[in-house]
Amino acid sequence: MTEAKSDWIKAALREHEGALVRYAAQITGDLDRARDVVQDTFLRLCAEEPARLDGHLAQWLFTVCRNRALDIQRKEQRMKPLDDLELATRASREHSPSAQAEQNDSAGRAQKFLKHLPPNQQEVVRLKFQNGLSYKEIAGVTNLSVTNVGFLIHTALKTLRQQMTEMEGTI
Amino acid sequence: MKTNLENFDEAKLTAYALNELDAAERSEVEKFLTANADARRWVEDVRQTVLQLEKELQGEECPALTAEQSRAIAKKIGDEKPAAGKISWWQWLPNFRLVEALAVVAVIAVMAAMLLPSLAKTKAKARHLALNSPQQLQQKSAPVAPTTTAAPSPVVMPAAQSPALFAEQPANTPARADGKFGFDLDALKSAPAAGDSTLAYDTAAREKLAPQSAPVGLAMGGANSYAGGTAFGLDDVRQTQMRASKVISSVNGVSFQQGASALTADGSISESFRNGTAASDAISAKLFAGAKDELAEQELADVPTQNNFYRLVNSPQTGTATYPRLVENSFLTALNHPLSTFSIDVDTASYANVRRFLTAGQLPPPAAVRLEEMINYFHYNYPQPRGNDPFAANIEIAGCPWNADHRLVRIGLKGREIAQDKRPPSNFVFLIDVSGSMQPPERLPLIKQALRQLVKKMTENDRVAIVIYAGAAGVKLESTSCAQKEIILQAIDELGAGGSTAGAAGIQAAYEVAQENFIKGGVNRVLLCTDGDFNVGITDQSQLVKIIQDKAKSGVFLTTLGVGTDNYKDALMQKLADKGNGNYAYLDTLEEAQKVLIDQMSGTLVTIAKDVKIQVEFNPVQVAAYRLIGYEKRMLRKEDFNNDKKDAGEIGAGHTVTALYEIVPAGGEIPASNVDPLKYQPTVEEKPERYVADSSKELLTLKLRYKQPDGDRSRLLEFPVTDSGKSFARASTDFKFATAVAEFGMLLRGSEFAGNATYGSVLELAQAAKGTDAEGYRSEFLTLVKTAQRLAGQ
Repeated sequence: MTEAKSDWIKAALREHEGALVRYAAQITGDLDRARDVVQDTFLRLCAEEPARLDGHLAQWLFTVCRNRALDIQRKEQRMKPLDDLELATRASREHSPSAQAEQNDSAGRAQKFLKHLPPNQQEVVRLKFQNGLSYKEIAGVTNLSVTNVGFLIHTALKTLRQQMTEMEGTI
Repeated sequence: MKTNLENFDEAKLTAYALNELDAAERSEVEKFLTANADARRWVEDVRQTVLQLEKELQGEECPALTAEQSRAIAKKIGDEKPAAGKISWWQWLPNFRLVEALAVVAVIAVMAAMLLPSLAKTKAKARHLALNSPQQLQQKSAPVAPTTTAAPSPVVMPAAQSPALFAEQPANTPARADGKFGFDLDALKSAPAAGDSTLAYDTAAREKLAPQSAPVGLAMGGANSYAGGTAFGLDDVRQTQMRASKVISSVNGVSFQQGASALTADGSISESFRNGTAASDAISAKLFAGAKDELAEQELADVPTQNNFYRLVNSPQTGTATYPRLVENSFLTALNHPLSTFSIDVDTASYANVRRFLTAGQLPPPAAVRLEEMINYFHYNYPQPRGNDPFAANIEIAGCPWNADHRLVRIGLKGREIAQDKRPPSNFVFLIDVSGSMQPPERLPLIKQALRQLVKKMTENDRVAIVIYAGAAGVKLESTSCAQKEIILQAIDELGAGGSTAGAAGIQAAYEVAQENFIKGGVNRVLLCTDGDFNVGITDQSQLVKIIQDKAKSGVFLTTLGVGTDNYKDALMQKLADKGNGNYAYLDTLEEAQKVLIDQMSGTLVTIAKDVKIQVEFNPVQVAAYRLIGYEKRMLRKEDFNNDKKDAGEIGAGHTVTALYEIVPAGGEIPASNVDPLKYQPTVEEKPERYVADSSKELLTLKLRYKQPDGDRSRLLEFPVTDSGKSFARASTDFKFATAVAEFGMLLRGSEFAGNATYGSVLELAQAAKGTDAEGYRSEFLTLVKTAQRLAGQ
């Protein structure tokens, strides 16, 4: 493997490894399986030509990761937020105080409502706002049309917005 | 929530709030917003909800792989044992992030430049709109992002000089040598980290990072050094992610405007646009020297369409630009270069590609615009051939609309039409890429639909086989008579994408099947359907070309059908078709597939003449200089014309091929002529006896060579042509329309020869020359011109 290519893979790992494990775990509901899926995804990436994925590396990674995860999870296809997972195997890592505080502060306000959305809405919302993919990329990853993605995100945001304002009202 | 959105597409408002619309849709929404307070509130609501969502979701834990898994990957990429003392890749991570920050900043600057027109317009029209008031937005982002209130200015300030940063920074940074430099969405995503590293210089955030990285750094010395490195990187990135993502979202709203005005201060938008391109050009040249060292130089020069910079501008997508110099045929003097020789080209892919860019709200990269493919996309009503020749030549000469002093010569070839029921029996092999990348709906599913339609049009005289390739190549369906359509259709239905790609083996297998079932006197053709993915290594590309060149001799023709938005392989697809006695179409929609495979089935699939070459000899008595419009990639040496071993383009049944020459009549001034008059050659005035023959009134002689589809020897046709002095106004409708397309192409390419052509003049010309336009292609053209006009800000 050329140095340029292995650098390319390393850069991809740096940028996407964690997000992909998180994403795969949402699909499989199991961190170990998620890790296997992501390892496999990157091993496949090694067989790809950098130039070919140029511009859609993220989309490619999420697509392959998703398909692998769905293969594994074909029987129970559901999205799970990570805090529901069995966390024993997770490498322990401290947060910096400020990040920790920030996280506690906002913990799960929108997230709580997100859980109640239909799985397909949850997934596009996560791809968009957690992983920063564009509508077009999400369409590529999920095999939906761009219009469809737009509609799902719109519907999800509408529901979330409504529930969040209602909650604010009751406090 | 009760809103009155007047049935306006709500999802579109949301997409607007999320910056997901193209320029045309954006301005539509903005118009609506100025008039509707509820809509404005919704956009505002979306943005706030999203801020909250992003904060929470991006704060979620990002678990790393296990050390063992990381090692397995490291081993695969040959990095399992970083040599002692050698700097490992993760150790320059902070540096990497800084560079990426600069890249992001530059990206933002460019995006800002692009957004400027619409933003400025909105601003002027609706100052009261909260959305567009920088102060308010800044206040809004402040409480959410307390650690980064200073964000907008540090991020934006360098933006004004971004082209310079582009040019210098990445080139000397190892991080950037990975061939993917960060103008992509990925970069925007990691912008979290990046943004932070810029900001962190004068904030406490930096100090917080330091103690944390220390223990990890110690761990690196141990056996788990690779995994340690990964953990460090991720932790680091994740930690800063939340804060920085806010920087980005506020940048989205606020800084664009600042960045944009900074850019306008030193020039027009197109100016900064071009600067950016030039810079990215320079970098990519360097990067690619390393990253693509296996790619033959020729191959590299052949990659015409890839330019992330343009793509990036409106959708935060990316890539690496390999952007060869734009080549354009210039004026040649008839005295010194009396012969102009080129191969015909009936491909239309460039037009479909240009359409895709414009429809997505972006001007296409100039190098993606191939004038001949634009012009040949349209059907012109040239008369059918008489006699035995497979095609007729049709020449028209009239004034040149973009330069009143010049003349235009239109050479139109028309292939003999073959009625559907007279179509010779066909032996088709569908060679289908079913690798993972083919999964999106506009790839394999589109191909499947197109092939289904094609199969339905075939008769019991025809045969179809299907060869697929992915991880391994295999014959999916042995050659089957179209009397058994159901079997074929079912085989098509069963195709699914997955796996990586081994293209060479697939091509071998496909040609073998085609040869086994060869129909003498029939149409024998491999249809290669792919997104251009042959990831078996770059060296295999030249091997691929060799295989195809070799197989073409067997009498099996090739059609390459490109799909997908990855136009990097555009050049390869074109080349394969070129070498494989074939044609190349880019299928962006089912309608395009319908046009290529059904409406023009005979033209695409039944070749009536091959190696068609054109040579024009200009008469210096009449012509001072001439310029062939387009066909830059099809030029031949003058010796090649009579060399039957030299491959050239094919023409299909009913196909029309159009070429335009712009001519400076004798005595006229030759534009952009950098060559001094020759000292030793006789001029027309000095050696009049050479030119006083009967032929001196002739403008030019058109010579054509072609071979029968199964022939080895070419036949020569010659037509002397005289200019009757017809004005442009009296030219035929088809002539005028082709001229409009040429003007359009020249404008998109930024041609120096465009004269006084404008998008407005293109519209006027095309509108008047639309003709009956039964299929609606010409109306679509008008729409594209209007889009381009808007995008170019004219």
